[in-house]
Amino acid sequence: MLKNLQYKLPDGYDEKQFMRKLADQYPIKKEPTISERFAIYDTFDWRLFNKSLVLYGCGHKLFLRKPAKSMSIHAIEITSVPVFIWDFPDGGLKRHLAPILRMRALLKLVEVYSRSRPYRVLNRDEKTVARLVYEDFRSSGSKNAPTLGAHLWLKPVKGYPKHSRILVKRLAEAGLTKSKEEDIYIKALELADKKPGSYSAKVNIQLDPDMRSDEAAKVILRFLLHVIRVNETNIEKDLDTEFVHDYRVAIRRTRSALGQIQYVFPAKTTDRFKKDFAFVGKLSNDLRDLDVYLLNEATYKAKLPPVLRDDIDPLFDHLRKKRSKAFQKVISGLKSKKYEKILKDWEALLNQPRQDDGAAPNAALPIIDLACKRIYKKYRSVVKAGNLILETAEDEMLHVLRIHCKKLRYLMEFFSSLFARKKINVLIAQLKKLQDNLGDFNDLCVQEEYLLNITKELPTTQRQLKKTLVAIGSLVGTLGRERQMVKDAFAETFTDFASPENKKLFQELFASQIQPGQAGTKKD
Amino acid sequence: MTTLAIYSNKGGVGKTAAAVNLSYLAAQTGAKTLLCDLDPQSSATYYFRIKPKLRSGTKGFIKGGKQVYKSVKGTDYDNLDLLPADFSLRNLDAAFYKLRRSKKRLKKILNPFRVEYDLIILDCPVTISILADNILNAVDYTLVPLIPTTLSVRTYRQLLAFCQKNRYAVDRIYAFFSMVDRHKKMHKELMAAVAGEFNGVLQSFIPYLAQIEKMGIHREPVAVFAPRSVASKSYQNLWNKVQETMLSPVRSDLGR
Repeated sequence: MLKNLQYKLPDGYDEKQFMRKLADQYPIKKEPTISERFAIYDTFDWRLFNKSLVLYGCGHKLFLRKPAKSMSIHAIEITSVPVFIWDFPDGGLKRHLAPILRMRALLKLVEVYSRSRPYRVLNRDEKTVARLVYEDFRSSGSKNAPTLGAHLWLKPVKGYPKHSRILVKRLAEAGLTKSKEEDIYIKALELADKKPGSYSAKVNIQLDPDMRSDEAAKVILRFLLHVIRVNETNIEKDLDTEFVHDYRVAIRRTRSALGQIQYVFPAKTTDRFKKDFAFVGKLSNDLRDLDVYLLNEATYKAKLPPVLRDDIDPLFDHLRKKRSKAFQKVISGLKSKKYEKILKDWEALLNQPRQDDGAAPNAALPIIDLACKRIYKKYRSVVKAGNLILETAEDEMLHVLRIHCKKLRYLMEFFSSLFARKKINVLIAQLKKLQDNLGDFNDLCVQEEYLLNITKELPTTQRQLKKTLVAIGSLVGTLGRERQMVKDAFAETFTDFASPENKKLFQELFASQIQPGQAGTKKD
Repeated sequence: MTTLAIYSNKGGVGKTAAAVNLSYLAAQTGAKTLLCDLDPQSSATYYFRIKPKLRSGTKGFIKGGKQVYKSVKGTDYDNLDLLPADFSLRNLDAAFYKLRRSKKRLKKILNPFRVEYDLIILDCPVTISILADNILNAVDYTLVPLIPTTLSVRTYRQLLAFCQKNRYAVDRIYAFFSMVDRHKKMHKELMAAVAGEFNGVLQSFIPYLAQIEKMGIHREPVAVFAPRSVASKSYQNLWNKVQETMLSPVRSDLGR
């Protein structure tokens, strides 16, 4: 493969003059300028950027490539720009993107306008022996729009290396320097004031071990509030289901932080906002449940015998109607005075300067100590609850254990910056496996019950209803069998988590630093 | 990857014009295309303004490998490369004779290109000797330009008989009418008769046109210097038929 070379243009580069000079040696033929418009796409949480992929459309085509590479991995023809992965035509691109995009919508991030002016460098037979292409990018179609970048390409033609070598020399003499291929995408985003990777629902907080606990708690809660606010403004647009999801997770984390990072705020404050955020969380419970059922529509159908697959459609039609009502409820909830006041008061609290009078007992404690204490304690309750389940095999206890695990997980994520990253990540990964098992069990229990109860609501004619009921019954049966399988896997999953190695690691990370009667020990 | 020979055992039937225009149209669809000019007269090479020169001539050519690979030149068009002809190719027949497995050498020479290109088109010289064996062994399909004259049809019959005798798959040989003069009654009658006699006659023909002869002046495919001409449209139609019949749907029994 011949490599195209990209050149930076020196200040005051005069294309006409350069070409005129070059024309002394070579006949040069100017080709018509080509103008194109590109639109660049990614999800709200930068899933493609995080995987080092650039997806862009131009005309009726869609391309996927690596940043700063001009060769595309996939190029397909499209009739309209796909929003969700299920809108893509079947093929390589869809297969590549499916596990990355999942349920998130593609958003048009920015448009780039390119112009390229090709020149053919000819030999005596007027055969093209190389091409020079001037190319620039603008953020809008108008001529006065600021240029994002401009450069000259030297594109060698196969079989004429001598001429390319001569041209490389001539370009150097004219003061042009070879530049690395940089991605216009990053520049265009910068100009549109968008920072790639700037949003992620993952907890990403940097804490200092010696920080006062109340200050640290505020750092964590401010981060969560930011996630809440960012998603809140997008929920109304209803672009995809994950704005509500991320929003809810941030609310849940806030509630968990209020409960678990204990005695850092006055009791009255903590109690008030615990209640308030419980209320806020409930606002979107129905919507999220319905979103999950609808996202799983295809999965549910696949669980049914083929003859019943279409019979379940009335159920999903019903759920879709319910969903649009639930959505309206959330929107009016978010606009309600009560909601606005809660969030406003909360923001004010997090931003107000420290008040030392009447401080809570743990407020001044170095956060490392509080973090160790809380995480280790929660770990112990997880192990205790799990062992009890191994003995008694009670379903209700699985639910209790799931909640314990969730609290432990949130604590470990809030405070992960205080501990050796590799070690805490190993433990988080182990915990996640246990959580997945418990989560699956819980989901299946809830789904079975929900499906059985929803039958009362189905407004179908008698004949259709019977068929739909048969389909739902079949689905509930399958879910029940799955639930039993998940439950059977619990003992092993839990034993793995409660293994002596993990116990040692938990002790090493979180218990070694707690010394009785000496709260202020520092991490080394 | 598909290989296609534009071949005839009769001269002056429009092989090179077809090879040049079809390879250009193929490249325009985005298919990486290589045109191999096997004719020592090097007309296809001339049309693309490329010097008729192979590294180490016929000797290097029959050896295959690096020398052949390095002889390839980029044309003025995206996705289209050319393996130029060389005057020494006039000895190609004799050179093949001297070798073992002499009827399958060309296939071996083309092997390295199969990775890089989606389509390889061979512009063949007039031959029905060992070079013809080599061509028929190397390609997936053969496309024969046919002038609607008695002699031209007669040579086509000879070719089919030759293929049958030597067990080359006759169903992979296609023909199209070339240099057709629609004012001539005989052309019309012969075309109708021949379409009934042979199976693989494409429903598309190239008329006898001055525009096509002008390729020698412009040294460009017709579609470049006269995109809206009848000539250009005729080649486009022919290319569409070639695509339909030979390139898609992909036949699973290819890639022998």
